[in-house]
Amino acid sequence: MTRFFASLRRAPRGFASLAAGALLLLGALPAAGQDPFSRLDPTSRNIIDVVMDSALVAGLPNRSILSRALEGIAKKADNRRIVDAVRRRLVSLRTARAMLGPIGDDELEAAASVLEAGARPEQLERFRRRTTGRNDLEAFTVWADFLARGIPKDEAFSAINKLWQDGADDAIFHSLWNNVQSDILQGLSPGMALQNRIREAPTRPPTSAGKPPEGS
Amino acid sequence: MDDRKFAIFATMCTALLVPAPRELAAQLVSGRFEAGQYTVSDGVLPMSAMRFAPTFQFDFPHVRLTAHGAALLSEQNLQIADGIVSGTFTSPTVYGVRAEMIGNASRAVDQRSLGSDQVDVQTRIHVPFRQAGGMWFGGGVAKPWRVAVISSADVLDGGVWGRLGDAAAKFGIATLTATFTNFSFSKVASVQDSNSVLSCGVAAATNLPASAALADDTGGGTCERQSRFSDLEAVLQWEVGPLELSAQSGYRLGDSYDVTPDTRQWTSGRATIWLNERIAIIGGGGRQPALPLRGLPARNFGMAGLVIAYSPVSKSTVPVSMPHAVLVKKFEMQPGTGDMRKIVIRVGGVERVDVMGDFSDWSPLTLVRRGRDLWELNVPVSPGVHHINVRVDGGPWMAPPGVPTMHDPYSGDVGLIVIPR
Repeated sequence: MTRFFASLRRAPRGFASLAAGALLLLGALPAAGQDPFSRLDPTSRNIIDVVMDSALVAGLPNRSILSRALEGIAKKADNRRIVDAVRRRLVSLRTARAMLGPIGDDELEAAASVLEAGARPEQLERFRRRTTGRNDLEAFTVWADFLARGIPKDEAFSAINKLWQDGADDAIFHSLWNNVQSDILQGLSPGMALQNRIREAPTRPPTSAGKPPEGS
Repeated sequence: MDDRKFAIFATMCTALLVPAPRELAAQLVSGRFEAGQYTVSDGVLPMSAMRFAPTFQFDFPHVRLTAHGAALLSEQNLQIADGIVSGTFTSPTVYGVRAEMIGNASRAVDQRSLGSDQVDVQTRIHVPFRQAGGMWFGGGVAKPWRVAVISSADVLDGGVWGRLGDAAAKFGIATLTATFTNFSFSKVASVQDSNSVLSCGVAAATNLPASAALADDTGGGTCERQSRFSDLEAVLQWEVGPLELSAQSGYRLGDSYDVTPDTRQWTSGRATIWLNERIAIIGGGGRQPALPLRGLPARNFGMAGLVIAYSPVSKSTVPVSMPHAVLVKKFEMQPGTGDMRKIVIRVGGVERVDVMGDFSDWSPLTLVRRGRDLWELNVPVSPGVHHINVRVDGGPWMAPPGVPTMHDPYSGDVGLIVIPR
């Protein structure tokens, strides 16, 4: 027992030295990589380079590919998952471009996110014909959120498409999202919450109302 | 306390309230200043005095520097003053484990004695469990000065913590921490000094327990004895709305030569009511244990006062840096000039808030504490859709509240923010 106490008393200095060494080692680890891509193995880096080049050649925003890779690195995902995510992003961007035609990079990225959230390409195509200057960022964002919350794909599409066709603006989409997520937090099923709220969602008056009569 | 020292102390306290350097040092500085009536009784002299306690804290990504002081002033005379400067280096979390190296330097001045100085160094290993609990263990060495009878001390400590609830919950957050700290050191005393902790005379020796190692030095003037005691302490902290309550209770294990009856156990409590983000009322009382290494006796105390927080330094009950399982109460991205946006987050009971997103190339950005639960950061964010994550105290990345979210491809969630053109 006495030896035990004696060893206990001696332990702190030895332990302190050991822990200090471990601490220095741990502290030195992150200093190794200033370039975030240095964490990836050469094969994964090459694949990401190729994917980014492919996006560039196809006229797609390769910053979106880069961002997806950096996100994975920041979240300490393994190489395989990062490569899969980057490839998937390229496919989503290509599909969104094919469905929506020539649109801005921001909307293209938002549309790609909707596809990744689970929307079908043909559903996205319904948003192809648009009013000049109209921005669909909020609509796509709310759509992606609904899918992530578990609202059935067809119901989510139907609600977003209805509002979009009715000419809803960003505020209306955001209000719908706010109400639905509030109902879900209070225990309503996601599908039911959307059904209830879409009925009471206001729509903007048709833009043709203020249009001068033809021939005037 | 002479006029010069008092002027320096008052200047330091006043400097806390000057907002000028706030923007310059906003990333790093937080501070608070407590003032109030303090009643203390340590068995020698009951005393009622004004207590002033400034605290400064500088936070870097892996380093924290803290300076804390407390002074009891009675009729413009310093009764007791205590100051401590601490530095903590925290390693990144690797395989769920993080390490800390802690250095402290402290000085205590007591009008009725010499006071004491102490330098100590400690290392700790902390293993958090799902951000709702954890355990740590560590050890180090403490070297006191001006406490004539005590040599350097070896310190071993360990503990567990657990947390219930979150900042958004109806009943707030409750944190329970249990610690075990073992001190072992040598007491050196004069044989003739009957008032010291130990006398080496025959009478004393006959009462010594078997574990005591008594050795008379060659001159026969001093003797040395190995001492050891351990503190078991439990701390409960509860935060709900503007109210912070904390209670602690402890028991000291050790033989009667190392632990006197009046310092065997202690209990104290403290309540803080925040009137707004910067001002709070505090009150509390109880018994504090003796600190033999610093020559400070056990004492009863009572206090009531005011806190003025430049940026509040949180009083963490868990003596290790740790991630918290909390929910962010509010998140906003407010428009600024040009492409600049102000990220505003409200989350209480944490010590660090980071955001990252495509706008930062997924590099973490640390927010600046602006109030008790208010954190802000100005960042350039271009128009468009942006993905964003938030984390508190180095915990898991999560989607901020109040914005649409979606699953990211890495088994987490990410917030979606639309910045209109």
